[in-house]
Amino acid sequence: MRDQWSDQLSDYLDDELGRPEREALDAHLTGCVSCRVLLEELRRVHARAGMLRDEPPDRDLWPGISRKIAPAQARRALVFSVPQLLAAGVALMLVSGGTAWLAGRRGAPVVGPSAMLATPASKGEASYAAAIAQLEAALDAGRTSSALDSTTVRALEHSLATIDSAIQDARQALAADPASAYLNHHLADTMRRKLELLRQASALATART
Amino acid sequence: MLAVLAVFAFGQQTDTTVTVPPGTRLEVTNPSGNIVVKAWTQKNVRVHADHEAADLVQVTLEGTVLRVKTASRRTSPREVNYIISAPAGMALSLTGVKTDIDVDGSQAPVTIETVNGEVNCRGGSGLVSLKSVDGEIALQQAKGRIEISTVNDDISATDVSGELSASTVSGDIELRNVESASVEASTVSGEVTYAGSISDGGRYHFATHNGDVTFAVPEKANATISISTFNGDLDASFPVNVAGASKHRFTFSIGVATGRAARVEIETFNGDIKLRRPSELDEDDNE
Amino acid sequence: MTELSPGVGVETDAETADVALAASGDGRAFERLYRAHVGRIHSLARRMAGPEVADDLTQDVFVRAWDKLGTFRGEAAFGSWLYRLAVNLILGKRQTRNSERVHFDAGASLETAPAMATEPELTLDFEDAIARLPDGARQVFVLHDVAGYKHEEIAALLGIVPGTSKSQLHHARMALRGYLER
Repeated sequence: MRDQWSDQLSDYLDDELGRPEREALDAHLTGCVSCRVLLEELRRVHARAGMLRDEPPDRDLWPGISRKIAPAQARRALVFSVPQLLAAGVALMLVSGGTAWLAGRRGAPVVGPSAMLATPASKGEASYAAAIAQLEAALDAGRTSSALDSTTVRALEHSLATIDSAIQDARQALAADPASAYLNHHLADTMRRKLELLRQASALATART
Repeated sequence: MLAVLAVFAFGQQTDTTVTVPPGTRLEVTNPSGNIVVKAWTQKNVRVHADHEAADLVQVTLEGTVLRVKTASRRTSPREVNYIISAPAGMALSLTGVKTDIDVDGSQAPVTIETVNGEVNCRGGSGLVSLKSVDGEIALQQAKGRIEISTVNDDISATDVSGELSASTVSGDIELRNVESASVEASTVSGEVTYAGSISDGGRYHFATHNGDVTFAVPEKANATISISTFNGDLDASFPVNVAGASKHRFTFSIGVATGRAARVEIETFNGDIKLRRPSELDEDDNE
Repeated sequence: MTELSPGVGVETDAETADVALAASGDGRAFERLYRAHVGRIHSLARRMAGPEVADDLTQDVFVRAWDKLGTFRGEAAFGSWLYRLAVNLILGKRQTRNSERVHFDAGASLETAPAMATEPELTLDFEDAIARLPDGARQVFVLHDVAGYKHEEIAALLGIVPGTSKSQLHHARMALRGYLER
């Protein structure tokens, strides 16, 4: 059964009709049994959809996923992590995306600057430097082998210099205010952008060799 | 005889029209030159290319993919300039290196990737992904899930709707007349300008290191706005009541701060944050 | 952001910690996140794209989530963020898959959906019936009635206008009426 009234029933159910249309359909429903029945069926379809159960796959997909993320896992272990601190019972973590929200959300106390500059930060910075060095080496190889033309190299170098300058700004600011969640987050974001740019550049270099 | 040889030595055109089944996708690979794709009302695809005689244009239909590719007897081809007419509903995948790429009138998914080249796209629907390294990207009249990324140049998106992310390193980002509940725009050295919707429940994130962020706030918006800056000022053309403040970050609400309010995050390091009404943005432009 | 159905988007402290750990490279933390969310993601993939490709799509979703964890800022629950990523990926794959084409015209196929079979072993249940819907109607139905997206968002995701989304939803619901009791 399809007519002007029945075609509007889903919109009616979802409150998508404008007021005049809704009132007109209300009036029609008062006198039309078949539309009322249809509306109830549509309501049940909608409700049934909301009750669908989520089932896991028949086989465990984790091994396949684990294989694909394994190289990135090794790289991420090398990537800097902004100063992390796991206090007993309270997780205060500032990771590469910047999760300072976590502290605010939980009302966790901000740990003092000396703790935040302890070993994890130094380790993170050293690992970041190692990752940067690897990628810069790949980019150099592409550059010297002429895999990248001079215009592209200049563009990439210009943007890398831009990011390095931003990293320096952030580090200087952080040196004066090491407990600042905002500055830690900003430095982390900028360092991550450098890594992304170097990955992109080395991918270009290797793609064209 | 000598004139004829000159023509073949210094220039050649390929012009071919291919009948394609519905649902065919167009893939063009051109390392150097231009790719222009224009939508037309016909159901077939016309490929016109200007190139040197030593370079070849290969047009092959493999299943539901029409592949157009530049091949060459040289180690690297010279510039080839393509002008392709294709149905508006045909999905496009256009790739180059030293290639400018231009699309006009598409109503289908568009994926563009170049290295040294500008991208201009008018149209696009569904997934619209535009990438360059050293080249400006301009997008108009697209809808869907939009991803724009370059490294060393500007980005502009106008009259677009859907999820939007725009990223560059050295360049400005300008987003105008955007209808979206999810916008992410970030640069390192450059300005960010946003003049678009602020939808209930939406998420908006704008970030730069060196540069101003200009954000147009419609009169009836409901939003919680968080601003972080190290060395910049907040310059608002209307009153704001700061709700929470720390050394470099403060938060305020506009409109009715309900659970459905949009969340806006604006970050700059050396740069101001300018909040304006949309009409004032036009005035600022004219100054 | 569309509010999802109750139960979705509720995040425990343990999960919050796992997200942070995974973002810094802890594969075991990411596995815990996988185990907690794979049912929902696989069901979404199965309903949107079909059982034949659901396993591959689910794997792709989690691999992409791993890559994108650095962009997760925590404004929404991790489950909501992951679900949205899955929707985007599944729809993106749809557009590059050669094997199917999305129909957004009101096809005769809905009107000629198989009549109810009398043999029990041939009877379709509600989930099977969803799978038998034409692509466009099925995706709109799953996004709207199962996942809770609004028509404006669905239209933007699928590259259609909201009116088409509403029309497809109605067709889907009409076709599914006969399978409610299964």
